Amino acid sequence: MLTAVLVLTVVLPAVGALAVSGLRPRAVRATAVLVATATAILGVWTVTLAYPAAHRVALGGLPWLSGAAGQGVFGLLLDPLGSVLLLIVVVIGLLTVLYSTASVGEANRDHPVGPEDQRRYYFWLLAFVASMAGVAIAPNFLQLLVFWELTTLCSWALISFYRNDQSLRAGMKALVMTHAGGVFFLVAVFVLFVRTGSFEFSALASLSEGARVWVFAFLMLASWAKAAQVPFHTWLPDAMAAPTPISAYLHAAAMVKAGVYLMARSVSAGWAMPPEVAYVCGALALVTILVALSFYFVQDDLKRLLAYSTIAHLGYVLLGVALGGLGSMEGFRGGVLHIICHGASKALLFFCAGAVAYATGTRSIAALRGLGRRMPLTATAFFVGVLAVTGIPPFACFWSKFMLFAGALQFGGAIGPILLVVLLGETLVAFSWMLYVGQQVFFGAPSPAAAAGADPPLAMRATLVLLMAATLVAPAAGLPLVGLIGR
Amino acid sequence: MSHVFLLGLAGALLLGGAIVSLALARHRILSGWLAFGAATAAGVAVFAVVVDTFRAGAGQETVLLRLPVLGAAWTVLVDPLSAFFLAIAAAICVLSALFSVHYMAHFERDSVARFYPVLLVFLASVVGVLVTTDFLFFLVFWELMTLTSFFLVTFESESRTTQRAGRKYFIVTHAATLGLIAGALVLWQTSGSFHFGAMRDALATLLGTRPLVGNLVILLFLLGFATKAGVLPMGDWLPDAHPVAPSGMSAVLSGALVKIGIYGLLRVFCGFVPVAGPVAGWGIVLALAGTGSLFVAMPTALAQTDSKRLMAFSTVGQIGYICLGLGVGLYCLPDRPALAALALMGALFHTANHACFKACLFLGAGAVLYRTGERNMDKLGGLGGAMPVTASSSMLASLSIAGVPPLNGFASKWLILATCLLAGMTAPLFLVLGIVGLFISLVTLASFLKVVGAVFLGQPSEDPRVREVPWTMAAPQAVLAALCVLLGVFPQVPLRLAHAALASAVQIDLPSSQALIGGPWTLAPSIGGLSVAFWAPLTIAAALVVLSALAYGLQRSAAARVRRVDVWTCGEPHGPSAVRYPATSLFVPFKDAFHGIYPAVPARAPAFPPALRKALDLDRWLFMPAARAVDRAAHGVGLTHAGIPQLYLLWIVVAAAVVVAIVLLAS
Amino acid sequence: MTTGALQVLGLCALNVLVAGLLSPLFEGMLRKLRAIVHSRMGPPLTQPYLDLLKLLGKEDLRTTGGVLSALGPAMTLGSVLVLAMLVPMGAPPPLGFAGDVIVLVYVAGMGAVFLMLTAFASGSPYAFVGGSREMMLLLAVEPAMAIALVVGAVKAGTLATGAIAAWQAANGPSLSTILAGLALFLALQAQAGKLPFDIAEADQEVMGGPLVELSGPRLALVRWALWARQLVVACLLVEVFAPWPRLGLLPLDLALTLVKALVVLVLVAVIDVVNPRLRVDQALRYYLRVGFSALAALAFAVIGM
Repeated sequence: MLTAVLVLTVVLPAVGALAVSGLRPRAVRATAVLVATATAILGVWTVTLAYPAAHRVALGGLPWLSGAAGQGVFGLLLDPLGSVLLLIVVVIGLLTVLYSTASVGEANRDHPVGPEDQRRYYFWLLAFVASMAGVAIAPNFLQLLVFWELTTLCSWALISFYRNDQSLRAGMKALVMTHAGGVFFLVAVFVLFVRTGSFEFSALASLSEGARVWVFAFLMLASWAKAAQVPFHTWLPDAMAAPTPISAYLHAAAMVKAGVYLMARSVSAGWAMPPEVAYVCGALALVTILVALSFYFVQDDLKRLLAYSTIAHLGYVLLGVALGGLGSMEGFRGGVLHIICHGASKALLFFCAGAVAYATGTRSIAALRGLGRRMPLTATAFFVGVLAVTGIPPFACFWSKFMLFAGALQFGGAIGPILLVVLLGETLVAFSWMLYVGQQVFFGAPSPAAAAGADPPLAMRATLVLLMAATLVAPAAGLPLVGLIGR
Repeated sequence: MSHVFLLGLAGALLLGGAIVSLALARHRILSGWLAFGAATAAGVAVFAVVVDTFRAGAGQETVLLRLPVLGAAWTVLVDPLSAFFLAIAAAICVLSALFSVHYMAHFERDSVARFYPVLLVFLASVVGVLVTTDFLFFLVFWELMTLTSFFLVTFESESRTTQRAGRKYFIVTHAATLGLIAGALVLWQTSGSFHFGAMRDALATLLGTRPLVGNLVILLFLLGFATKAGVLPMGDWLPDAHPVAPSGMSAVLSGALVKIGIYGLLRVFCGFVPVAGPVAGWGIVLALAGTGSLFVAMPTALAQTDSKRLMAFSTVGQIGYICLGLGVGLYCLPDRPALAALALMGALFHTANHACFKACLFLGAGAVLYRTGERNMDKLGGLGGAMPVTASSSMLASLSIAGVPPLNGFASKWLILATCLLAGMTAPLFLVLGIVGLFISLVTLASFLKVVGAVFLGQPSEDPRVREVPWTMAAPQAVLAALCVLLGVFPQVPLRLAHAALASAVQIDLPSSQALIGGPWTLAPSIGGLSVAFWAPLTIAAALVVLSALAYGLQRSAAARVRRVDVWTCGEPHGPSAVRYPATSLFVPFKDAFHGIYPAVPARAPAFPPALRKALDLDRWLFMPAARAVDRAAHGVGLTHAGIPQLYLLWIVVAAAVVVAIVLLAS
Repeated sequence: MTTGALQVLGLCALNVLVAGLLSPLFEGMLRKLRAIVHSRMGPPLTQPYLDLLKLLGKEDLRTTGGVLSALGPAMTLGSVLVLAMLVPMGAPPPLGFAGDVIVLVYVAGMGAVFLMLTAFASGSPYAFVGGSREMMLLLAVEPAMAIALVVGAVKAGTLATGAIAAWQAANGPSLSTILAGLALFLALQAQAGKLPFDIAEADQEVMGGPLVELSGPRLALVRWALWARQLVVACLLVEVFAPWPRLGLLPLDLALTLVKALVVLVLVAVIDVVNPRLRVDQALRYYLRVGFSALAALAFAVIGM
């Protein structure tokens, strides 16, 4: 039964996507919400069903592609690592759809969207949910690659959704950069297949020393591009031309996580990451964190600021994964936990930014002052998001960051303490700036732009409240799962 | 009923009260009463735990939650040290909640939804901090406490100063917390657990194997807790944050929040640092930090004209006294446990006393603010007649903080200074510190005479708005002022509790409280069997009352006629405000002598060099040029498709030639 | 117990009576001395008593009706008399069991506190100026006084005033105690409110400062308190830093103490007569130096000299 449910988790949103593209505009929203809700229930249900064991099914293969190992090419795999991603995909996916029903419409002051465009919107959104769920339950690299490229495609379509010059450029840029990464992924899978005759994750461990370095390096390049790591980070801030729910879902919670998920998957399959690659990965993650931080101070657009913060936090995840590759289990678990914690927190922040833009028509930090009086719920949610994302206990990212700090310190010698100090420093500076921005936007005497502010419609308010709760619940859901990794 | 049940009940009451008061935030007064009710009910539960702990000793440690991934478990235990601080925090929070019921009504534009629920969660987190014995969960409650207090401090949402002060508070204390996290992680690396007991053992091990790292961890803990306690220079947040908070919250900040920093210091230095280890050295560090703090803060307080800012600086100063006491105690701990116990008891006693008088003073300043809308002492004066309860409470508290016998501030300062001087007989550094402490207590006196003189005394104010505050605001002040007198006259009771608290916290056996503080009516600490310092508050108070009564009898003996006259202003008629001596002018040459002792360092956002910014803009010099190059190359290739058949034929011939050439060359 | 209690009560009464009843006489003698230096006849020795009696019966003019202005003078006098019970006068301090040198320093400041509160309560700007100056003098003088007493405490190894005096009597003078005694003597000049340090009252500038709005019985009590304070501090000085010879007989010791105190006060009065008034900032600077010299005494005491 678990298998059936799992298949349904992928198929249902895909079917939903096809369905909405054929429906009358008025039924689109209801159908999308229905499909997303069902998907979320199925997803959460499978995760609880599979817990604490891993569930693996082979569903058949291609006769001309069965390698030396003879395993099937297609199948399903739900283990704790995949569960983490699946949870975030289906739950945030539902919330995104819910939020979009109010946000993507004609009442949006930032970008009004007509009814005929909504079909297109929900088609791509549900297609993305399906492909992302596919990523989470892919049992081998080939299937992962297929769904991975599907997410890239959905990302391109959704970034370009408004079809204005800026968003078309941004969509193209995102497509080219992430797809260029995908090419490296393809090469890596190809090499892996040629050398081992298998697409399995565990095949990585049976590669020869020299080939493993290259395969890991290629996988790493792919994940860097997908997860917007330096030097491939430039597409993500531009991708903020997408509708805000898309930025929240694709470019903070889910799609970019596919990049770090690939790395986590590769590392945890056999724990065979070559140390030199792990060092490069960790070092570049650290560089990414600091570079992204340096961009905080010059951002005026709320969403761009959040995008840079996302880049930094993806760096945190990759750093944890690299630490795991170097033997620190605590760091690896922290990194994986950060996927879910950051997903919930950053989605909340994006949704707040979206609510602000929805009501006032601007996302400029300089233009917004004193919104808190007119948008108390949004203000509360934003501050909860800021505290959650910068790791103030008891909110989500504290727990994952704390584990990352612990992992950093497990690193012996001088590197561990230095790493810890750098991370703590980044945490403090990021926290200070986010707090400052929060105060600028929501406190003080109201500016003219803020005069039109009002808390958003019910669907968006409900999303904000649910996500606020999620910032508290996420670690509780994630900790038992990550505790299983590496046992 | 078990401690955990009562504490859980308190927590549930507080959280439930938070939700209800949030739901009813439209009705300001009702919401306030609900919050007060919840706080009081929770306070009763907490006090039941406190009383039981002091009667029956520490309870059983209970595990509430396990986090095997991190080797952490939420364990809860109330020992007398926790109970001591629980009592202070609960009392101050309940009284502040009562004070706030009407006080918060005068913020017309800001909703109390941002005050009462947060205040209740704050109280819950304070209780959590004090009863948790696992450092990870301690940190969780610790930061929950910080963030709730941040929102309470920044309640006045439209004021830039308030926002700035709140931000500074949160950032500085969060930095300190990150230090705590680092320290805890270093110990966790050794022990694999965050339980206090495990961390103590880990620290002892670490000090044995890698003393430098061990001491670094202690330093991180010191910085972390001293920042919250408001020890300069890390406590620089305090003089900014206290004045801008609503007065009820200022009282909580000074009365309860900074005390939690002291609790942390006591936990770490009495509970973690091994007595045989470097504790004496850290005692000197703490004593120096405390003395430096009070030496800088009190003259700065004297120079303030904003009454709440003055009180905030004096909080820094009084925390300095507490740290001085802690330092003396820790210094003496290895060799002279009796003196050490006395000094630590003095520090704990001063903590309780400071909570009483400083909360009372902040509430008094709040009452004045409520009626006059003014914190600037230059513009106030002569309010005593119209606000008798506020004035007399504030005056008692002022005399108390200034250390006028026989009030409570004197009793604890006396114990701290006496132990400091006695420790100084063998370590002369402490003589100097003690004398600085004596001198600064005079500066405190001057500061608070200024408050009393400039705000309450003098010719009656002409402001028609001024009358006594509602009873909900007057009662907490009166209670706190009464506590100032009671704790001063009967210091044995709090000292005994402090002794019990310390006995549970330190790692050595202390002499009995009977042996330490002497007789039932006299504090006569003895060192080596010989009483070397004396303070009998009842005797002195009785003598003072009797002799003053005699003197008053003498004053009335000739039944001299009393007549009301105007103030003599050299024959010219002037109104009170025209001849009022402004607070700024008091103590001018003395204040000038300390000018610049508290330098202001402006904080700026980091500025990045434009070159670096350009270098980091990869789009500009890497991706876009690359994309353009590809574009150009494609365009170049496209040129070959000119649409002329002859040209295509030419390409075929050229290609054939190249292929032939390659084949020929290869063979 | 009863005999002990009675003894304490008796000694208390004795000290209070000495401080209360003899202080006007001392003041009378000092006035006479000043007159002699001025080549005047001067008032009779009993003039201060007559002043007090006269003032007690005069009309009491009050600017404010507060409790503080009614009770302040009585509290001032009361606290000075409490100080008298903490100071040895021919015998160990009667309330020595209730207060050591730290208590003594704080109680010494208490009189000034009540005087300042009375002054502030009157609402007169002159009283505010005077109170402010009084506070600054206190800030300048009390540290010097405290350091001097701490020197004694360090030498004797205890904070009990009586024990310090007894140690001095038994062990004789040393460099540190002489220096400390000198510092206390210099502090006495301001404690007694004499020139060049009568800055707070400064009749010609601020018309009596804290006293400006006091009249009749309340003025009498405050005057009395000030006179008593100078005698008590003088007794403290001679008892702690020059307790020799100790005869062991209370009346003789007391008489000797009073004579020594008179000598000290005469010196104070001579300085008073031949000096002009300093500004308050000059006084602060002066006592800063005194304080640092006293610290030198402390340093000597620490190294055992």
